[in-house]
Amino acid sequence: MTNAALFLGGAKQRLLPASLPFRFFVTAAVFHAAAWATLLAAAGDLPGFTGSTGLVLAALHLMTIGVLLMTAMGASYQLLPVATGAPIGRLWAIRLSHLLLVPGTILLTLGMALSGPTLMAAGALTTVAALVIFTGLAIGNIRHAGKAMPLVAAHGWGALLSLAVFASLGLLLVLDFSGGFLSDHIGLARAHMLWAAWGFMGLLAFGFSQVLVPMFALARSVPRRVGWIELTASLVALFAGGIGFAAQIPALVILAGVGTLAGAAGYLWQMRAALKSRMRKRLGTPFVLIRLSWVMLAAGLGLALVVLALPSWESGPALAGFWLLVGWLLSFLTGVLQKIMPFLASMHAVGRGGRPALQSDLTLQAPLRLHLICHILALVLISAGLAFSVSPLVLAGAFTGFLGSLGFLWFAIFVVSRLR
Amino acid sequence: MEFTRRISQLLHEDHAATIALIEAQENMIAAARATPPDANDPSIRETLESTAALIDHEVRHHFTFEEDELFTRLEEAGDVGIGMHLREEHAAILPLGERVGALAAAALEKGFDAASWAEFRNNAGELIERMLAHIQKEEMALLPILDDLLDGETDMELSELFAAEG
Repeated sequence: MTNAALFLGGAKQRLLPASLPFRFFVTAAVFHAAAWATLLAAAGDLPGFTGSTGLVLAALHLMTIGVLLMTAMGASYQLLPVATGAPIGRLWAIRLSHLLLVPGTILLTLGMALSGPTLMAAGALTTVAALVIFTGLAIGNIRHAGKAMPLVAAHGWGALLSLAVFASLGLLLVLDFSGGFLSDHIGLARAHMLWAAWGFMGLLAFGFSQVLVPMFALARSVPRRVGWIELTASLVALFAGGIGFAAQIPALVILAGVGTLAGAAGYLWQMRAALKSRMRKRLGTPFVLIRLSWVMLAAGLGLALVVLALPSWESGPALAGFWLLVGWLLSFLTGVLQKIMPFLASMHAVGRGGRPALQSDLTLQAPLRLHLICHILALVLISAGLAFSVSPLVLAGAFTGFLGSLGFLWFAIFVVSRLR
Repeated sequence: MEFTRRISQLLHEDHAATIALIEAQENMIAAARATPPDANDPSIRETLESTAALIDHEVRHHFTFEEDELFTRLEEAGDVGIGMHLREEHAAILPLGERVGALAAAALEKGFDAASWAEFRNNAGELIERMLAHIQKEEMALLPILDDLLDGETDMELSELFAAEG
């Protein structure tokens, strides 16, 4: 049976109360706006950003923890039990993880913005507590998925391992801002970014794509053998890069670069095969973002390799990071959310005349179009601003991104308002 | 898409034909917007003829066959949920489909005016969305389950029955 068959076959029976996943999605939409607003305030500092505390670091973590991690947790809580056919565990624990993650994100990013080590440490510890709960619930669930969806489950295990690594490194880095005990803060920060972006978010995106993309496009399952190659290459990249960055071993960093490229090539090959076999030709606005994310994944990795070869390019790391974080991961997540939020809402809501609810009644096109246009414009403007070190372009891009995030927030609030 | 069971493949081919028609309807609605299209235009006429024929014959036949022959087998095998859910969707789609089919047939005779076009657009829009979501579930859930559930002999019987009634 295909992954999507298992997924859709059990979807109705394995739904969580709507308030659970949607509280994560709406919070992520709020942090999305906050991240762009913070970047707007810090636009002048972005081109030369190297990882020190301040508004750019705060904006970065509002985006990664507040948006990407928040969405990943909400989506995982809902998708994992549907995908594995096993319950996710106690619902109060899901609520608690959200209750911890929200103040954790606020304290951590406030501490980063104000360069306050105590606030940062409090935020980091609270965030890690939320992640521990999430990890416990996810492990309990994925343990039951092995036979049903081995490839998706393997990506889940990889993501959870990455979460443990990046969260531990993150905690160390935060404590080091006050203690100063690390001999190579920047090296560990790079390893932390690799395990967070490629390891946790990347593997989750690759794993859930095996199910979601064929489902959205009405395609047969993606080629699984290529998926195993992608996963192996991704894991090689994580371990090589983690050690290479932390111990400053260039050969291992290069191996990590090759591993990420091979992993991305495998993943993109799978997605191409899925879309090639699709029955539905019109895929709509969400797939503009999803396709954009695939282009930005390849472009971002290519640029990261150029940056490794040209260490004197001052704004290169910020540009490569921006392409991967906003171009790849944020485009992908906002595209997927535009599909799964109305889809999930339609399973909870009652439609006209007592018939099943229509997804089109649970979505709004105007704010999504606003978000799409602004997101793409922000990508272009900030990329140009970083490439040519023109701060007003970065400022204009951040403002455009903020406008787009308001469109996305409007959409998220509308979907939630339509739930019964 | 290839399935190992013949009946899954036949149902899949029906779905592919339905999606092709749905996309033709979408194109027709998107091109005309609020202005009634000319029902004598050959491409419009072809879409309307297919719409009338598909709803009147294919969809009813397809749904009845699934409910009588497939969901019952799934229920006997202990999988009650999916058949129940798909039956609910059939109940929502069929009257809508009949209305769209009747409007298409009427337009073939008399053409569209503003009121009949608005009614066609509204009903066809809802039908398109419900049908796509329904086919998505059948393609991704029902057909693969049938591939696993049926033996060769039952598959042959069902395929002959589906073809004979079609």
